Amino acid sequence: MAGGEVKLIALVKQFGDVTAVDGIDLEMPGAEFFSMLGPSGCGKTTTLRMIAGFEQPTSGQILLDGEDMAFTPPHKRNVNTVFQSYALFPHLSVQDNVAFGLRRAKTPKNEIKQRVADALELVQLTGLERRKPAQMSGGQQQRVALARALVLKPAVLLLDEPLGALDAKLRKALQIELKALQQQVGITFIYVTHDQEEALTMSDRIAVMSDGRVEQVGPPSEVYEEPSTTFVADFLGVSNLMRVVAHGDSDGRCRVTLGDFELHASRGETHTTGDTRIVIRPERVHLEPHESSGENRVPGIVERVVYLGNSNQIIVILANGDRVQALVQNTGQELTYKQGDPVRVYMPSEALRVLTDTGTAPIDEDALPPVSSVA
Amino acid sequence: MYPRWLWPAFAIPGVVWLLILFLLPFYAVIGVAFGNIDPILQTPIPAWNPLNWNVGWVSHVLNELTPGGVYWDVFLRTFRYVALSLGGCILIGYPVAYYIARHASRTKSLLLILLVLPFWISYLMRMLAWINLLAPGGYAARFLAFTHISDLLYHMGLLSQPNNYLGGQSFTVIFALIYGYIPYFILPLYASLDRIDRSHLEAARDLGASPFRAFWHVTLPLSKTGLLGGAVLIVLPMFGDYYTPNIVSSAPTTSMIGNQIDLYFHGGPQPTIGAAITIILSAFLVVLMGYYMWTIHKSSKELVA
Amino acid sequence: MSQAVATPAAPKEFTLWQRIHGWVTNPWGKPRFLVLVTWGYIIWSIAPVLIAIQFSFNNSRSLTVWHGFTTKWYFSDPIDSIWHNASYRGALNQSLKLAALDVVIATPIGVMLALGLARWRGRGSGASNFLMLFPLVTPEIVMGVSLLLLFTQLFTFVNTGTLAQVLGHVTFSISYVVVIVRGRLFSIGRSYEEAAADLGASPSAALWLVLMPLLLPAIVASAAIVFAISIDDFVISQWLSNGANSSTVPMLIYDSTRATPLPSTDGLATVIMLITLTTVVAGVAVFRLFTRGEGGRGSAVDDVAGFGM
Repeated sequence: MAGGEVKLIALVKQFGDVTAVDGIDLEMPGAEFFSMLGPSGCGKTTTLRMIAGFEQPTSGQILLDGEDMAFTPPHKRNVNTVFQSYALFPHLSVQDNVAFGLRRAKTPKNEIKQRVADALELVQLTGLERRKPAQMSGGQQQRVALARALVLKPAVLLLDEPLGALDAKLRKALQIELKALQQQVGITFIYVTHDQEEALTMSDRIAVMSDGRVEQVGPPSEVYEEPSTTFVADFLGVSNLMRVVAHGDSDGRCRVTLGDFELHASRGETHTTGDTRIVIRPERVHLEPHESSGENRVPGIVERVVYLGNSNQIIVILANGDRVQALVQNTGQELTYKQGDPVRVYMPSEALRVLTDTGTAPIDEDALPPVSSVA
Repeated sequence: MYPRWLWPAFAIPGVVWLLILFLLPFYAVIGVAFGNIDPILQTPIPAWNPLNWNVGWVSHVLNELTPGGVYWDVFLRTFRYVALSLGGCILIGYPVAYYIARHASRTKSLLLILLVLPFWISYLMRMLAWINLLAPGGYAARFLAFTHISDLLYHMGLLSQPNNYLGGQSFTVIFALIYGYIPYFILPLYASLDRIDRSHLEAARDLGASPFRAFWHVTLPLSKTGLLGGAVLIVLPMFGDYYTPNIVSSAPTTSMIGNQIDLYFHGGPQPTIGAAITIILSAFLVVLMGYYMWTIHKSSKELVA
Repeated sequence: MSQAVATPAAPKEFTLWQRIHGWVTNPWGKPRFLVLVTWGYIIWSIAPVLIAIQFSFNNSRSLTVWHGFTTKWYFSDPIDSIWHNASYRGALNQSLKLAALDVVIATPIGVMLALGLARWRGRGSGASNFLMLFPLVTPEIVMGVSLLLLFTQLFTFVNTGTLAQVLGHVTFSISYVVVIVRGRLFSIGRSYEEAAADLGASPSAALWLVLMPLLLPAIVASAAIVFAISIDDFVISQWLSNGANSSTVPMLIYDSTRATPLPSTDGLATVIMLITLTTVVAGVAVFRLFTRGEGGRGSAVDDVAGFGM
């Protein structure tokens, strides 16, 4: 089935005084695995429900293959949904659940039989047609919900945190399956989640949302490596965010001062001047012996070493009082640093990113409280 | 996704039914209470137009409800009966609800079924059962005589003569009211006790509260809504009860407000006075209900704050 | 259970009283005092009814002294048995007739009202919700007086008797249906209907193919409860009756307690109790059967617990 291109234009949804979705513009080309990622209350589910037709937008347009669907009732849209609770009809068998949509469309009987069988085969549930939803495990129910939606050959499949109710191990397995399924059926998947890892693993592109707005859209690597706002940097994985004073571009890099130390950052908005923030991922932070020297190196003291299994998280208090996390892979060798050791923290300029916004969300003060008394 | 008019349309038959057969009848009562009485036929002449209302009968009844009036004793007695019955229900019902909610584990479902069972046994049958037991020679009468509890009750002044339970004894009426209404009191109380999160209590005990203090400062306040709900659920119908005193006593010395209303409609043809008493009783119960709703509203706001 | 009291380390003999006292106040065991109160209450609340049932089989006219077992008050006594006595049969008939009509009228009205009130957001919905609650807390005598005056003063075209009784019963029954069905509606939520619409079902298909089957257990349960409360009702039936030919069983029991009750009165009460209990148990069973496996939603338990209200 061709198409499946969804375009949201200046989409707004208000519930009374509350603005759930605050002017969203998004383009999702056909056959893409597109994720909307954000914390609860960011408007991602409301956006999905507007695409499905359960909510009508306050203003704006929803184009499906160029046609405005904003006020088309849900049963007349070529869009299907996999619900967070699955919403499998408890009084109907698996067979009847999957056939429900086909019967509404007055599909001939033998075609229904064939397509239901195909759909159940696609999700590997052949043989369970007579079961009631309550007699199935969470993972199986999830597959029935998928089959029920896919059997109608929609242009777009909407998924509202479909893995949220499952345990961690099953979730990982189903993430891979879902992605494979999407490539197999070749239709647009719009996937809503608050789990950044899930979004990063499966998506072709991710829209990170906050407070009813889209913060950043891009492929997973771009959103992760090059967050354009403080919120994105903070929400996607652990980030070291530091307040700095920027002094503008010099030969492609931005000179910033962090307390008494001068650093160079070659990513992000390098032309910025004045108070701003820089960000670096923990896995890009290097720890070196205290004696080492060179550019972008700041002295500090190891405050804490946390064993994480596959890696060690080392928290260092920098000489200016900021805290920085470094992630050191667990290679089996004994760790050189322990609590109280003086170290030198190397933050390569190509890993340091200058952010322009003062931040819709402040630096997560709970996770990394700056200790002013140390400075 | 449904047409806008659908849900109001669904509600219409029920709403219209209740308007005509629940709300409008109150206007019929008001019309009769504020109407006149035909001087010859002694039948009520209702006044449907508020401008023609005659406040005479209502104010007559109100006057007689003050000390020295003909209804004063009945009024006081009704209050006394309801208050004592409520007290009895709390004394018996709270430990029962508390035990089932908190401590019954294996027997909980069985106890719940037994607790709900009286709901589905006709009130009249449950009263009839006690008539059989308390009649001269009945099992309960024989037991009370044998154990001399009957004499004890007589000497305490609770019975006007020993071994007579069904001839105008206030004690029996209150006993019957408790027996009749207590199931309706226990169930909401049980529900509210069952909802209390055990961790609150464990936290209180953990912080050094004795079992008694934990009960007093945690369980009791948290069961307040259930206690009030159960109380309202039995107090409102008790104020309108007339059949219980009639069945176990049928003497004027134990008559309640409900008996007065019953009397004016079924005894003598004076519906106007009966309607006036009904209006006053309803107004009183609305105030009681209002107080209850205000308390619930306040405590739910406190919980949020 | 009780060995905690008599520890082998204490060779001293305990008196019976000490043993009972220890058993009741044992601070390490279950709260025995509460156990006694609870079971005492349960026995107190149910035993009298069982004794009344026993005396419906008494081989004498006495309701206080046992003279051996007979079923003559049910079948064979030519004058006073339930089977032969015209007024007993008439009352049983009237009770069943009122209950059946009540179920047929109040259930659909109540189900629709529940749906309407749960979803209608707009002018009048708040007031309607409020109005629906009042019949649940209005003392029956107030409803009885007001309906009687309505039919005798305002709607004089409605005569007291069966018609008035049915109208009265439906009036107090509707709210029970609403409370039960609405509880189920809330526990179902809207996602099933949204799923139906999402799969291409029109609003009426979503209503009939998804919502109604899911509501069915609550509808059956509420019908059973309406039947039971109608059969057990005394006050409204009495106030709206027009003499002997509209007497119901509770009215007959009431009249007999003020005259001389016979074992057949107990028998009649027993018959009515069995009908009520059977209906309610069947209703709850249907509810359980249809909602089983919906675990985790807490709906079945909540709704069944709500039956008492």
